[in-house]
Amino acid sequence: MRGGNPLFNSIEDIEKKFADQGYITDRMLATTVYLSTVLGKPIFLEGEPGVGKTEIAKVMSTVLGSELIRLQCYEGLDTHTAMYEWNYPRQMLEVRLQEARGIEKEQIGRNIFSEEFLLKRPLLSAIQAEGEVPPVLLIDEIDRSDEEFEAFLLEILSDFQITIPEIGTIKSKLRPVVVLTSNRTRELHDALKRRCLYHWIDYPSFQKEMRIVAARVPGIKERLSRQVCRFMELIREEDLYKRPGIAETIDWARALLSLSADELDPDVVYATLGCILKFKGDMEKVQEANLRQLVDRALLTGETSGSSYSAGPQSD
Amino acid sequence: MVANLTTQAQVRYEKILLDQVVLFFRVLHEAGLAVNSANLIDLCRCFEFIDISNREDFHATARATLVSNQADIERFDELFMQFWQQPDKVLLSAEKKDASDNLDGEEEKDSQEKMQKQLQSDDEEGGDQAAHETLSELAYSADEVLMQKDLSEMSAIEVERARQMIKEFVAIIANYKSRRYVADKKRARLDFRRMMRRNALFEQMGLNMAYKARRIKKTKLVLLCDVSGSMERYSTFFIEFIYALKAELPDLEVAVFSTRMTMITELLKAKTVEESLAQVSAQVHDWAGGTNIGGCLREFNDRFAREMLHSRSVVIILSDGWDRGDAYLMREEMEHLHSRVHKLMWLNPLLGGSDYQPICRGMQTALPYLDYFLPVHNLESLAELARTLRTIWR
Repeated sequence: MRGGNPLFNSIEDIEKKFADQGYITDRMLATTVYLSTVLGKPIFLEGEPGVGKTEIAKVMSTVLGSELIRLQCYEGLDTHTAMYEWNYPRQMLEVRLQEARGIEKEQIGRNIFSEEFLLKRPLLSAIQAEGEVPPVLLIDEIDRSDEEFEAFLLEILSDFQITIPEIGTIKSKLRPVVVLTSNRTRELHDALKRRCLYHWIDYPSFQKEMRIVAARVPGIKERLSRQVCRFMELIREEDLYKRPGIAETIDWARALLSLSADELDPDVVYATLGCILKFKGDMEKVQEANLRQLVDRALLTGETSGSSYSAGPQSD
Repeated sequence: MVANLTTQAQVRYEKILLDQVVLFFRVLHEAGLAVNSANLIDLCRCFEFIDISNREDFHATARATLVSNQADIERFDELFMQFWQQPDKVLLSAEKKDASDNLDGEEEKDSQEKMQKQLQSDDEEGGDQAAHETLSELAYSADEVLMQKDLSEMSAIEVERARQMIKEFVAIIANYKSRRYVADKKRARLDFRRMMRRNALFEQMGLNMAYKARRIKKTKLVLLCDVSGSMERYSTFFIEFIYALKAELPDLEVAVFSTRMTMITELLKAKTVEESLAQVSAQVHDWAGGTNIGGCLREFNDRFAREMLHSRSVVIILSDGWDRGDAYLMREEMEHLHSRVHKLMWLNPLLGGSDYQPICRGMQTALPYLDYFLPVHNLESLAELARTLRTIWR
């Protein structure tokens, strides 16, 4: 259990604070975040690309007023790049300098394994963080790293301490708030997932996406916003190679706003389709038959939305 | 914490709740969800912080602690609704499942014992040395015959022996390491190239010792196996064969298809090939529909290809090519697959027959996209396949 002051007072507290920063959560996600902070367990976020997994860590650090430490994972990421490395060239130079200054032979090089010569990488920075509020450690796209790194991370996340042979064991004073994200390009080991609280972020419902657009694209009229969200909802049901995420919705809304479009019509949608679809195959599929049809359906939108594709119960 | 209860009532309430939660946990476990007791403890720890009587929050908490896979979410939600609204119904089915599991276990054990006894008695006939030697000669040539025998024609005993043989010849093909070297800070062998580069900064030798070690290359291997009709036997053998090689291939995915396809990689972690196939049988076979290779490849490409395939992947399709589906679809999907992977291999049991010509439409459609087109009808072809795979992994 985490000692010290609670970071958030309640689930509602989280919902409100995040919303103030323009990040709309649903109750389930807010609950998971809340439990993560009170239990001291990391959060494991999975979902399609572009649904706001990385974003939430940024918002969290803004809301808490603490540092965001980011570890971007990739294949071949090893422990040294993630944790620390000795600054070899500097150590060499130090030895030379000392020789040049005429320091006694036994004394030369005594100090080169000290913190001064340590290159601190994200994990070590997270552990050594000081201050009132713990930092947010974002371990992004962990599915891109390999199994060895997962095992190593599992160790770190249990104890939050690092042993540097030349210095000793460094323990954390403040337990960082840890967020892991994955795009599910591979299956992660159970051991790591069980260490965390799990949450699957799906594409947003129509209502939720409306709120997001309202928060992120100030100045947009509700009518256009409704049509945009409806169109996005429809296009995600299409048979696409890459379905657009929330980032694309926001980009598109901004683009339409800057073109002073009051509502959707096939021409303006055709012109701005590149904001939503980034693959030629996808653009071809949509341009051909159904662009007009999709636009018509989007224009018809009333207050009710059609289908939704999240697996869990709708909570907004 | 629940509002509005006396302390005594609270304690009793909490005990009942705890019992229910543990029961729910058992139900999930029996339904095949990957839950463990550490998570259960986490869930209970959360009760201090949420209002348990709020169904939504309780559901969110349970899901965050007990579920760790998107694939499990739907089933979990179903069970959650059922359990917390109709506990009786759920419990009964859980108990029934227990009973029937035991029964299957008994039967299986019996037949296995019988087979083992037979295998043993095959070995132990004859008492003296000479007879023994003749017997081992016989056994050896019996093995040779078995190597050539078509897998679909083997008796149960022969199948057992074939499996043992697979393990034997796979053991010979052990831990293959790639020749490429990468920088290794664990210091096995000196890397002169790096030393030279670094020493360019300093004028003296031996200041920066750089090391390297062999990198063990991991290829992603994806199997798409036809399990309709007679293909099932070949696919079963083939999957077992690949699993015997598994030590070299950590990144392995297995799917089976007939009218529809489904991934069985996860199932195979806990069950045998036969058990897994039996479990997915209803999902995969639609006797009215017939084999639909194009449609199944489509499914694979849409749902899994992006996650699973990369430039070093090797995809192996096992099928006789008899396809009732749309030829155009199949061509489109073969093209997609071909463009995404390093090597595309098709294994066709019919190639075992010396006069086979790939005249069926499905096979003809696929041929232009294949890097390898090989037989898989007997043990000899499997052994040959192992050799071919080694050259690909290189």
